[in-house]
Amino acid sequence: MKRRDFLKIVGIASSATLLSSCGVEKGTEKLIPFLVPPDEDYIPGVAQYYSSTCTECPANCGVSVKVVDFNPIKLEGLEANPINRGALCLRGQSSIVRLYHPDRIKQPLKRGANGQFQPIGWDEAIQQVVQALKSARGQGKANVYLSGRTTGSLSRLLDNFAKDAEVERVPEYEPFAHANLREAYRLVFGRKEIPFYRIEDADFLLTVGVDLVETFVSPVSYAKQLSRAKDRENFRWLHFEPHASLTGFQADKRFIVKPGSEAYLVGFFLNYILTNGLNKKRIPPEITNALPKIDAGQAAEKTGLDADTLNKLAAQLAEARAPMVISGGVSTHQKNGLETAVLTALLQWALGLTDRLVDFARAENYDHVGSVADVQQLVKRLNADEIGVLFLARTNPVATLPAAIPFAQAMARASFKVALTDFLDETAEQCDLILPLSHSLESWGDAEPRKGLLNLIQPTVEPIFNTLSEGDILLAIADGYQGRPNVFSYQQWLLREWNRTYGEAFVDEFLKKGFYEAPAKAVRLSLNTRALTRFLKDAKLDVRPQGHILYAIPSLRMFDGRSKVLKLTSEIPDPLTTISYGEWITVSDETAERLKLKDKDEVAFQVNGNQLALPVKVQPGLNGDVSTIHWDQLERAFLDVDQRSGEILAVVSGGQMQKTGKKIAIPILSGSMEEAYERGIFPDHNGHGMKHHADVRETLYPPHEHPEYRWAMTIDLEKCIGCSACVAACYVENNVAIVGKEEHLIGREMSWIRIEPFYGKDRDREMNFMVMLCQQCCNAPCETVCPVYATMHNPEGLNAMVYNRCVGTRYCHNNCPYKVRRFNWFDHEWETPLDRMLNPDVFVRHKGIMEKCTFCVQRIRTARDVAKDEKRKIRDGEVIPACSQTCPTDAIVFGNLLDEQARVTKLAHSDRSYRVFEEIGTEPAVYYLRKKEIKDEA
Amino acid sequence: MKHKEVDTAKPMTPREKIDYQNEIEERVLSAMRKPTPLYWIGLGISLLMVLIGAISWAHQIRTGMGVAGITNPVGWGVYITDFVFWVGIAHSGTLISAILFLFRAKFRSRFNRSAEAMTVFAVLTAGLFPLIHLGRVWFAYWLFPYPNQRLLWVNFRSPLIWDVFAVSTYLTVSAIFFYVGMIPDLAIVRRFKKGFAKRIYSILSLGWTGTFKEWQHYNQLYKYLAALATPLVISVHSVVSWDFAMSVIPGWHTTIFAPYFVAGAIFSGCAMVITLVVPMRKMFKLEKIITIDDFDKLAQILLFTSLIVGYAYIVEYTIAFWSGNVFEESQFIYRVVGEYKWFYYLMFFCNVILPLTLFSSKLRRNIKYLFVVSIFVNIGMWFERFNIIVMSLAHDFDPYAWGFYMPSLVEFGITLGSFGWFFTWFLIFAKTLPIVSITELKEEVA
Repeated sequence: MKRRDFLKIVGIASSATLLSSCGVEKGTEKLIPFLVPPDEDYIPGVAQYYSSTCTECPANCGVSVKVVDFNPIKLEGLEANPINRGALCLRGQSSIVRLYHPDRIKQPLKRGANGQFQPIGWDEAIQQVVQALKSARGQGKANVYLSGRTTGSLSRLLDNFAKDAEVERVPEYEPFAHANLREAYRLVFGRKEIPFYRIEDADFLLTVGVDLVETFVSPVSYAKQLSRAKDRENFRWLHFEPHASLTGFQADKRFIVKPGSEAYLVGFFLNYILTNGLNKKRIPPEITNALPKIDAGQAAEKTGLDADTLNKLAAQLAEARAPMVISGGVSTHQKNGLETAVLTALLQWALGLTDRLVDFARAENYDHVGSVADVQQLVKRLNADEIGVLFLARTNPVATLPAAIPFAQAMARASFKVALTDFLDETAEQCDLILPLSHSLESWGDAEPRKGLLNLIQPTVEPIFNTLSEGDILLAIADGYQGRPNVFSYQQWLLREWNRTYGEAFVDEFLKKGFYEAPAKAVRLSLNTRALTRFLKDAKLDVRPQGHILYAIPSLRMFDGRSKVLKLTSEIPDPLTTISYGEWITVSDETAERLKLKDKDEVAFQVNGNQLALPVKVQPGLNGDVSTIHWDQLERAFLDVDQRSGEILAVVSGGQMQKTGKKIAIPILSGSMEEAYERGIFPDHNGHGMKHHADVRETLYPPHEHPEYRWAMTIDLEKCIGCSACVAACYVENNVAIVGKEEHLIGREMSWIRIEPFYGKDRDREMNFMVMLCQQCCNAPCETVCPVYATMHNPEGLNAMVYNRCVGTRYCHNNCPYKVRRFNWFDHEWETPLDRMLNPDVFVRHKGIMEKCTFCVQRIRTARDVAKDEKRKIRDGEVIPACSQTCPTDAIVFGNLLDEQARVTKLAHSDRSYRVFEEIGTEPAVYYLRKKEIKDEA
Repeated sequence: MKHKEVDTAKPMTPREKIDYQNEIEERVLSAMRKPTPLYWIGLGISLLMVLIGAISWAHQIRTGMGVAGITNPVGWGVYITDFVFWVGIAHSGTLISAILFLFRAKFRSRFNRSAEAMTVFAVLTAGLFPLIHLGRVWFAYWLFPYPNQRLLWVNFRSPLIWDVFAVSTYLTVSAIFFYVGMIPDLAIVRRFKKGFAKRIYSILSLGWTGTFKEWQHYNQLYKYLAALATPLVISVHSVVSWDFAMSVIPGWHTTIFAPYFVAGAIFSGCAMVITLVVPMRKMFKLEKIITIDDFDKLAQILLFTSLIVGYAYIVEYTIAFWSGNVFEESQFIYRVVGEYKWFYYLMFFCNVILPLTLFSSKLRRNIKYLFVVSIFVNIGMWFERFNIIVMSLAHDFDPYAWGFYMPSLVEFGITLGSFGWFFTWFLIFAKTLPIVSITELKEEVA
């Protein structure tokens, strides 16, 4: 080779290397600042908060929407809202994903000649609807509007719309309509409502099957109330259920009853109160005579509990100053569910609860919600070809109705089907026209989840896709039908409506506050003696479930299935089983032993010709022959309907279970739920394992100095209900990646905070939840082993992460006793427009680096900037990490340990305080408050 | 071909001596002649393995560490196992050359060259793994304390930084030791080469002429280097063991790790020497030079270190159960009953049970048997590292975080590549450098 050639080659090679390394790394493109900001109040990067309402489930909690650079990036519970009081559940936290979901319907769609959906414009779409409405009327057919639960002004607009467009508004359809409960209150008091249960003021709570903290009517509200109630020393809570629910494990004492025996249990309590209690006068003799007589012996035989225990409990109930009895959930979703609900309502009356704690003045607003019976009526009319245009708004009956009701076939007979929805669900797929709805964060509106409580819905972002709010659509159709020009937007209509109903002054305050609470109107209750006597005569308490019994339980993560699309709800594991993706069925220890089942073994479950084959998860605490499956995972063919009330029956009895011999891979994230006490994860009740102020260890290194702040956290395990809201909040706040099923199967979940369930000492009746997150150790094992100081102790006591310095040795992760560090095995995708959801204050980690919780350091940073501007220190309560902010039970408290007056300092020094694995000498900054002792043995 | 066994105990006549010396020279140098097809096939396979490894690594860099099987909570898997395995292999080189040299163990001269070569190549291989296991290998230079304007520095508390120094020091010293020991032999090779090759060997032999003065200086330097290398045998693997012992993980956090690892390293190193020398001896017809007596002595070292290793296994259990520490107890129960129990049994059989047969001198002197045992020991020692690393991580403090790790194809590919890389170097060495120390063997009979 010649010298010149050599130089040439070297030159080309080196310049090629240089050029190729000059490329822009993904996500590091230059940001161009605004020269002229587009808005007066707008400062780039500074968050603004708008009050609104969460519409993910019918509870309609108040939210505060965090908006940065015109993008809503997180929902937080609205502090002042009387429903959720600052908290938000897992689904509420995840619901921001719905706004940016890439699978949302992006423009109106019309079924073309070839049967495929074609995008069309809004004007054309509205025109089509109007024409269809008119031609249906011309043929003498009725046009029908079927929707999910609708409240507030939208409900009034619907009434107007029904008048203007000659559309019939049929009772709304909700899978969780609580039809039996409402029917029971109709039978007993003549009020078809769900009252608001004031458990916060109770001192003896007795719950029968009701999943208060999971999905029951307004779970965040109830979780909050339970937490407040638990603050009182004298609060006692007993729970009865045949299956294992998250709520059940929160009770002071959980009783496992035989399936279908709940009516006897409540009936026994009622009999006991009537014979020994104070208020027997209040029940007229004709009712007393019609009541089934149940003594302790019979109740014991039916429920499988001890007669002495039952007598003792009944006596406690009778003596309690403020008792409270609630049934609901699975106990009212079975054949004798209506009987259970009626007896419970009577018991509430007999105990005098209806004066105070069972509040009808603030009843949950289910006024327009019907039941499956109403849908059956509609199906009949559809089959008789009486229906022209069928509107289906925010409802998915095709997927959620029991298969016995052939809704899909029936709806095909309507001449024109219009879906108002945000996703192409099973029902929308059967429609002729799809009108995509804006998310509540893109629309104006209000909601009235409880009587007299109006929650504001206001837009926080321009519609991301070509969508409209339901109000706007209805106005446009009505105007089109009437041949008027469409001048009013729903926003204008709303303002007029508010002004008219509440007055000018109201609107300003409403917009600022985010909700309005009208004074409660007193409700006078009286027994509906005739209807009740008639019902009690025909009441059939004994349902005798046979064979293997399957309970379809509402899922904390998916509700009735509607939250399944959110991705994040699948990524976060179910707290009881720690299964994230996939479908499964739980079996009791007994069944597992009998059929020689282990986790992930497939079983075939058969009943009346229907069959399902699913992997099992062994779940202690179930009655022997009981299995559970999440509601959204059960095929509709298994479900039945109670014709008296129109309630969907979620208890499938008479089944047979067999092992198929296959093993199915499902991600069970927990390695083991045993050994928690031996390992000191929980100290036992006599304080063993609490080496709180252990002697100081010898160390070669100088101690860390914390001159101003030492951030710390306390987590009250008595209050933690395992609801995983904190997990969801953390995902959204910190841009934690969603990695999907395949990664979960090999154990690569990314959550920074997790709920770890562990069996208690009484494996069947206790389950404890450990909230595990980075402990921000003072002597952190992760820090010393990092070769490049990518993680280091900062002067405020945090294990700071320098993401850009990380080279990815993973030694820190190995050396973490709490295993809370997460490695980015790949680059993660935020499919457009999901990337708009990213929190700009938090680094988006790419492949090859480690990440973990840093107590929401970005929030500390913001608070410090504000404090610095005001020349003061950060106040207690000024920094609230996302997990603590959203916690429905206020279990998580954060603050500065150097501040003696701080709440966290006081809690950290309480006698319940301990730290996990303290003997390793890590000096964690997370203090756990152990569970309180059970006060007496019942 | 028949070979006359040389009985060095019996004095040779001067004629015999010269014949023997010539034969040594002839045999060793003939190994450097034109390669046979078998050699090319071997080299080809090795290079293919390197290629597989390189593709696997490239895929991993491009896609992310996720293509390996490592997961939560097992952040280190096959890569670190391979690293410790190769560092271990690298050990006996220095042991055989330096320590046995200082102890005047004569049989050393048959093995020292190949052992030293093995050391250098094994360290070269081992050194790849800390890079391979990095999440962001393109920033690997951050692990070195280099001056920079951002005043970023490395964390000298981290055992990984100690590793960087230990391994790079070991590589430097063993390379120098390997080279210095070879200078007189290179001068012999120079004599038989022509043209360009002669120039290369002349440069490499540093103009060695073999004068008395040169030999005097040379011997001093060699002794000095041997003394310098000796503590490294202890220190390098001690430091590697501290990667684990300095952590808090039950199964890692133990004071016996340094001697335990050093013994293990010598054990595996000796096994690897046997594995390499047996075929080499056959292939290059060195039966006359490397005798059964020499293998017997190597086997004795193998047996001795096996006993130490076995003792360490037992001590681990004793300490775990004596400590009353629930995490330790649980970890060591897990090792024999958990998902990986067969790996543990395999390790115990290969490293403790099988080498016990070497108490029989008949088996020690059976080259074929010894070869088989050495292979088993290699496997066993690989699994020892795997067991320590993976099992401890898979089952530590928090039961929720317990998990299971299985290597992926990429990890197998890279491991295969590392063997290919090692054998490629070794095969190139076998054809380009004298594989047995000619001068030292000559000196023995002089």
